[in-house]
Amino acid sequence: MRIAVCAPQVPFVRGGAEIFSERLVDELRERDHEVELVTVPFKWYPGERVLTQAFLWRLLDLDEADGSPIDLVIATKFPSYVVRHPNKIVWLLHQFRQAYELDGTELAQFDDSAEGRALRRSVHRLDKLALGEARKLFATSTNVADRLERSTGLEAEVLPHPPQELPYRCDEYGDFILSVGRIDRAKRVELLIDALGADVSLRCVVAGDGPERNRLERLARERGLNGRATFAGRVSEQELADLYAHCLAVYYAPVDEDFGMVPYEAFLAEKPVVTTTDAGGPLEVVGDRETGIVCEPTAIAVAQAFAWLRDHPDETREWGKAGQRAAEQLTWDAAIDRLLA
Amino acid sequence: MRVAYYSPQPPERSGIADYSALLLPALAERIDVAVVRRGARRPRRRADISLYHVGNDPVAHGWIVEALRRRPGIVVLHDFVLHHLVAGMTLGRGDGGGYLDAMQREAGAVGRMLAHGVIDELLPPLWEDRAADYPLAGEVLTSATGLIVHSGYVERLVRDSAYRGPVWRIPHPAWSPPAEIAPAALPEGRTIIGCYGHLNPAKRLPQLLEAFALLRRRVPEALLLLVGSLSPGLELDPVYDRLGLRPGEDVIRVDYVDEARLWSLLSACEVCVNLRYPTMGETSGVVVRALSLGRPLVVNDVGWFAELPDEAVVKVPVGEGEVPAITDALELLARNHELRTRMADAARSLAQGEHQLDRVAEAYVAALEEAAGGAVVQDAVLGEIARAAQETGLPANGNALSDIAERLREVGPGR
Repeated sequence: MRIAVCAPQVPFVRGGAEIFSERLVDELRERDHEVELVTVPFKWYPGERVLTQAFLWRLLDLDEADGSPIDLVIATKFPSYVVRHPNKIVWLLHQFRQAYELDGTELAQFDDSAEGRALRRSVHRLDKLALGEARKLFATSTNVADRLERSTGLEAEVLPHPPQELPYRCDEYGDFILSVGRIDRAKRVELLIDALGADVSLRCVVAGDGPERNRLERLARERGLNGRATFAGRVSEQELADLYAHCLAVYYAPVDEDFGMVPYEAFLAEKPVVTTTDAGGPLEVVGDRETGIVCEPTAIAVAQAFAWLRDHPDETREWGKAGQRAAEQLTWDAAIDRLLA
Repeated sequence: MRVAYYSPQPPERSGIADYSALLLPALAERIDVAVVRRGARRPRRRADISLYHVGNDPVAHGWIVEALRRRPGIVVLHDFVLHHLVAGMTLGRGDGGGYLDAMQREAGAVGRMLAHGVIDELLPPLWEDRAADYPLAGEVLTSATGLIVHSGYVERLVRDSAYRGPVWRIPHPAWSPPAEIAPAALPEGRTIIGCYGHLNPAKRLPQLLEAFALLRRRVPEALLLLVGSLSPGLELDPVYDRLGLRPGEDVIRVDYVDEARLWSLLSACEVCVNLRYPTMGETSGVVVRALSLGRPLVVNDVGWFAELPDEAVVKVPVGEGEVPAITDALELLARNHELRTRMADAARSLAQGEHQLDRVAEAYVAALEEAAGGAVVQDAVLGEIARAAQETGLPANGNALSDIAERLREVGPGR
């Protein structure tokens, strides 16, 4: 089949969504499909830009390319699924969250003016139309599927995807907590910094970059963490695998995250994960006292969770291995079979 | 965002006042709502949008239509046929010219002549039995920047009237039955068939009574409960005599009751009947209450009533075959407990589903937010796309622009 995988691209930003799209293309190619990644830059502000940029996808003609038909389009996240195609499948990573559950929070985009409210409703209308057109809808997690059902009435089949390929291994249960991912407010790395403030025996390495990095580095200095928090920035795949291999456990507690590949990555390195009761998608992955610890989203609770893991090496190892067994169940073969069924 | 809210309010005896009493608190949880007091003449300041509840009663809605004339806004069209409202706002105030103009606008010269006939008392009032032929909704539709309707039936009627503005179809919200419902104190051991609401000719009372008289022969324990004020001129005693029905024994009539008593009487019945013809495009608060309580319903197969799911209501035709169809439906429901249970479950799940109050309030907020800022958003989107098209040098009449326009129509901002 000739397949176009559609994904928006925020220039100079790379995260789980980008890794997922590229990997999907590779996996489909490995199964003898002719596959191309189609991207359009996305900027969602100010004002109506969210709609005009989404509209660019609507103008794309992906019915055929160079005289040959494109058999299937697989769209991933807003606004790539606005694309038109008679055989459109959506594997939904997330909708435009500012128009939904983030509205009215500190992460909101649309203000309370009549224009702001109408813009938000326009995104809803667009979603209903564009997602409603899809021949089949998949969501990467129950959390994403539930949000979709609540906001549009559309039902999606839950189809989690495997994490990125890395040379995963476990060399030790070391003396630092690892945080992986884009450093923005939604990922809530600040809670980990606060946890280190609450327990002077804890150390962490924060791998990743993002708009909050400078503020959090400053915060770590102000809290007097004295080098206990290391901001490693964007790291290579090998470096990331090394960090997973040597850390004690992994911190992953975003605010109502869609899915998040990090827990599965941690599991493949046999490391348990500490997450919080309000983390959303990760709660579908991390079993409390089975593959990690699910605690209240407070600095003290997070600090206590990591201290407990450090002080109970047998459980830490056991839960890490249990996570590894769970993560190994998630394969691209199974995912692509369902996707193309 | 702030909404100026125009509606009759309790204690007015109006289904729309009850509707607003139910909806307003749920709406106020989600959006800034300023309720405009009855008769207010000046448009509400600082409101981003006005919401007008319009029904067919000139006493309850005349002042609202006057406010709509001064400041166009979103109209909740509770009835499509507004002849009685317009007649009340014109002839009822000595404004014969206004009625002539409304009829001419509706039906041209013929309409004007008919109106003359009514004014000169050469013809019976059109609003009594020909209102559906001359709905007189034109003025309200012209002033409405958008419409909220409760049924596909009314949506089709407004579109057939060449209304081009946005239309949102939002179901009637459902009341939650009270936690405690007092016993109705009705005779025991009877199968109670209940008919509730203002009893007027459109409620098909002659047909219902005739059907009930037939039912009594097959189901002797059946009791008909008629609850609601009686329309002037509607005489029931002669009909009882003709059909051999004994008031107080076979038929019990209760005048207008308050909300608590209404729930008692509704919960006392095995089957609820709500016949309606002609329909003015209205919904029925009593039907929605009966659904909430899980009472099987018999309705006419018209208008909004026809859109209720077959799992929850039995629909009977209007006209030929109507009476035997009503009798058969009542007998089936009276005798078949299992069917009643199934229909009760379906009725409750309908009330708790698409008629659920929070869901309806969300739909209202979505409609109001789209309406209030929609034009600004649309202009901004179109402006940016038009600038890009111009800078790219797309020819004004070319295929590329047509394609862009078509895509815009699909996704919304171009509508």
